[in-house]
Amino acid sequence: MAKITINPVTRIEGHARITIHLDEAGDVRETRLHLTTLRGFETFVRGRAAEELPRIVTRICGICPWLHHLASAKAVDRCFGARPPAAAQALRELCLHLAHISDKILHFFFLAGPDLLPDTDPRARNLAGLARQNPELAEEVVRMRVQAQKMLELIGGRAIHPVAAVAGGFSRPLAEDERRQLARQAGQLLDFALRAMAHAKTEIFPLHRGPAAEAGAIRTGFLGMVDGEGNLQLYEGGLRLMQEDGTVTDFPAHRYDSFLAEHAEPWSHGKMVYARCWQQGFSMDPDRPAGIYRVNTLARLNVADRIATPRAQEELEEFRSLSGRPAQSTLLFHHARLIELIHACERSVELLAGNDITDQCIRTRARPGAGRGIGVVEAPRGTLIHDYTTDEKGCITRANLIVGTTHNIAPMNMSIRKAASGLIRGGRYDREMLNRVEMAVRAYDP
Amino acid sequence: MPHQSTILAFCCTWCAYPAADLAGTARMDYPAELRIIRVMCSGMVHPDLVLTALEKGAAGVMVLGCRPGGCHYRDGNTITLARMEMVEELMEDFGFDRRRLFVGWCSAAEPDRFADMVRRMSARLERLQGAGEEN
Amino acid sequence: MAFRIAAQWLHSCAGCEMAILDTGSRLLSLLDGIELVHMPLLVDNKYHAPDRPPEEADIPPADLGLVSGGVANREQLELLQAMRRRCSFLVGLGTCASHGGIPAMINSWPLAEGLAATYENIESGTPPAAGSIPAPLDRVYAVDEKVNIDLLLPGCPPDPEQIHQVLTTLAAGTRPPARTGSVCDRCPTRRHSMADRPQVRRFVEAAAFDPDRPVAAMPCLLEQGLLCMGPVTAGGCEHHGAPACIGARAPCRGCYGPVAGQGNQMVAMMNILASHGLDFRSVVDRRAMLRFAGAHGLLRPVKPK
Ligand code: SF4
Ligand code: SF4
Ligand code: SF4
Ligand code: FES
Repeated sequence: MAKITINPVTRIEGHARITIHLDEAGDVRETRLHLTTLRGFETFVRGRAAEELPRIVTRICGICPWLHHLASAKAVDRCFGARPPAAAQALRELCLHLAHISDKILHFFFLAGPDLLPDTDPRARNLAGLARQNPELAEEVVRMRVQAQKMLELIGGRAIHPVAAVAGGFSRPLAEDERRQLARQAGQLLDFALRAMAHAKTEIFPLHRGPAAEAGAIRTGFLGMVDGEGNLQLYEGGLRLMQEDGTVTDFPAHRYDSFLAEHAEPWSHGKMVYARCWQQGFSMDPDRPAGIYRVNTLARLNVADRIATPRAQEELEEFRSLSGRPAQSTLLFHHARLIELIHACERSVELLAGNDITDQCIRTRARPGAGRGIGVVEAPRGTLIHDYTTDEKGCITRANLIVGTTHNIAPMNMSIRKAASGLIRGGRYDREMLNRVEMAVRAYDP
Repeated sequence: MPHQSTILAFCCTWCAYPAADLAGTARMDYPAELRIIRVMCSGMVHPDLVLTALEKGAAGVMVLGCRPGGCHYRDGNTITLARMEMVEELMEDFGFDRRRLFVGWCSAAEPDRFADMVRRMSARLERLQGAGEEN
Repeated sequence: MAFRIAAQWLHSCAGCEMAILDTGSRLLSLLDGIELVHMPLLVDNKYHAPDRPPEEADIPPADLGLVSGGVANREQLELLQAMRRRCSFLVGLGTCASHGGIPAMINSWPLAEGLAATYENIESGTPPAAGSIPAPLDRVYAVDEKVNIDLLLPGCPPDPEQIHQVLTTLAAGTRPPARTGSVCDRCPTRRHSMADRPQVRRFVEAAAFDPDRPVAAMPCLLEQGLLCMGPVTAGGCEHHGAPACIGARAPCRGCYGPVAGQGNQMVAMMNILASHGLDFRSVVDRRAMLRFAGAHGLLRPVKPK
């Protein structure tokens, strides 16, 4: 029995390898996405003073450290019974949206984008190749991404591995001149996002629809955050699970463990999460999945009834008229990503419009003590859950971390399986086919 | 394993070192495993030195200075005391028994006190090693 | 021929790679003059042909290699060794590479225990087993514990400015200037005396500062009784005129690693507290002072008494 290995999966944000096992006839018998590193954060945060965690867990991921930082700060607040003042909440939420912006630009243009270049020479399928083919676009995406990073740096001192969200609030207030500068820059990001969408709607998304895209399609449920009115939320809200047929279950984020459960496979370091409340158990069989749902952009847009910012809402309506709800095709994650990019820009503009965000009261005193705190945010990669328990000194005794990618590991395995079985027949394959298998992973932005 | 029984002593130049000198010229009896490093003041002994000595295989480390109030740099030995109390605690983080550090004082005219401290430390380490072998 | 760069991440978080991207528009001009022959984040170079059993990782020869992350398993070790063989000049990028970084905190636990907590909540399936995942090493190592490294560039992540400077000077065939000094050396805060602070305070309330005045008007955080690791941490993180965290009015946690190559930040910091008469027992969790630099054997499981 032959085995094909793709190692490493490239242009994704972590370490992974794919193995494709063929049967006697050379058809796909099984596929596996192996996540090959385990760093043991859940172990080594034990004994740490809880207020230090927002500055430790950032190192789970250098691409979206802000999301870990914020989920952690929320969890610590709850362990210590602290309620951050309004301006601190606004600053945190602003940082969350800016982090989404830089991440979405990175993913859409730097990582997934090169797959859409007409040139199929793998050596040119990257940022440098993009820069040669379309220098203005490359220059602009690089500049816009860094602009969002610089904005984060101005607010919180550091863009990568931030420190500004602290137990009880934020470490420093925003000055009025800074607010004005940021508001102007957020406006520029919004303009860019709208132009990027217009460009993608004519040049890119048509390629994501139609029979070729359906080849790798799987059907699953979805999970994402919404507020009380069913609006898309990224920073604070309840969770909503949607089944394949569109029926939804809403539950408070801190009760995640009554609705979700974790599964492990011996060949991967990634834990997998499934919907406990559907009472189907867990199966990754692409034809008969059980307990499987997806997270990340497409999932959030599927579960949300609407988006509270106008331009993104317009785009959502158009998207739904084309793709239905829930939309299932994996490549649609890319389209959904740009809709969320517009939303994140609009929300940043909103937050920077008023004077509330420059209020100097940004921190309340947190009292270290025994408690449990669950902090949940929507990271670019999906619902991110930090669940801490502290002892009477306020030190961590137990931590459970469910990172965005975790929810999508099982569906990614299914997508890979689908894509591979559709492409590889009779033991014949080429580089291009293998890249298409990788593209099934890249859509999820792991 | 010859250095297993090495005791390293940091002796200040004004009291502990002259006391060691006198003990030598007076042919006093004290354990031969002692190795002396002369420092200007016991207050100069950085915790890193103590931990490195243990790391490199010293059985024990002694930090010896002037009697309280007698430090030639006024409060060098007060700092030594605060510091070494802290080092004792850190030793456990690195897996060393805290009894492998000895902090003590003597004046330049007390060779007998010096020799006695070394004997006590040597006996302590012997007991520790004995206890270790039983386990 | 263009200057060839290969970059490989090991036991890392991708933050160092993000810092490379944060060099911004200069990134594109840099990419213009060089050839990026290997970098899993951006470039599709694979270690192996799909159908060959894995032997030596196929990393193309390069003039400059960048490795980020420490070394925690066999696969990472083999990749590091392959990088060493294929790159004429090898840079350890980031504090994980130079000192183990945050992931080396696991070195305080015995290997088997260390990873168990991750799977504590599993209700279905089987946790990973040896054989189908790379075998873990006994602990997390810094890269210079395993191969010769030509230049270490700590920082978690290193400041994009520094990365840019290092890449351009190396591409031009010269060596970047050595860095010296501590975070405090480059900190503008007002310093007066440590005298009246018997206790170390936890960072659960705001530091004292006037929000309308620049950071230079703020009293030193350590003197405010907050545990600021500035004195024992290598400098280099400053922008807008202050070390990055101090600018955010938050104490330094030591992410650039020790001031001198192999120093021990915990011992050095505890020494400062004890020598200044602060109650060192008021530090809640002193092992966390080694959170960035636990490799080189500095963090290890505490033996039961
Ligand atoms: S040094 Fe910091 S930024 Fe770089 S890989 Fe390690 S944790 Fe990530
Ligand atoms: S201790 Fe901290 S605040 Fe004080 S000078 Fe050093 S870096 Fe600045
Ligand atoms: S102040 Fe300290 S923790 Fe903050 S970036 Fe600088 S070295 Fe790192
Ligand atoms: S000079 Fe002897 S202890 Fe200071």
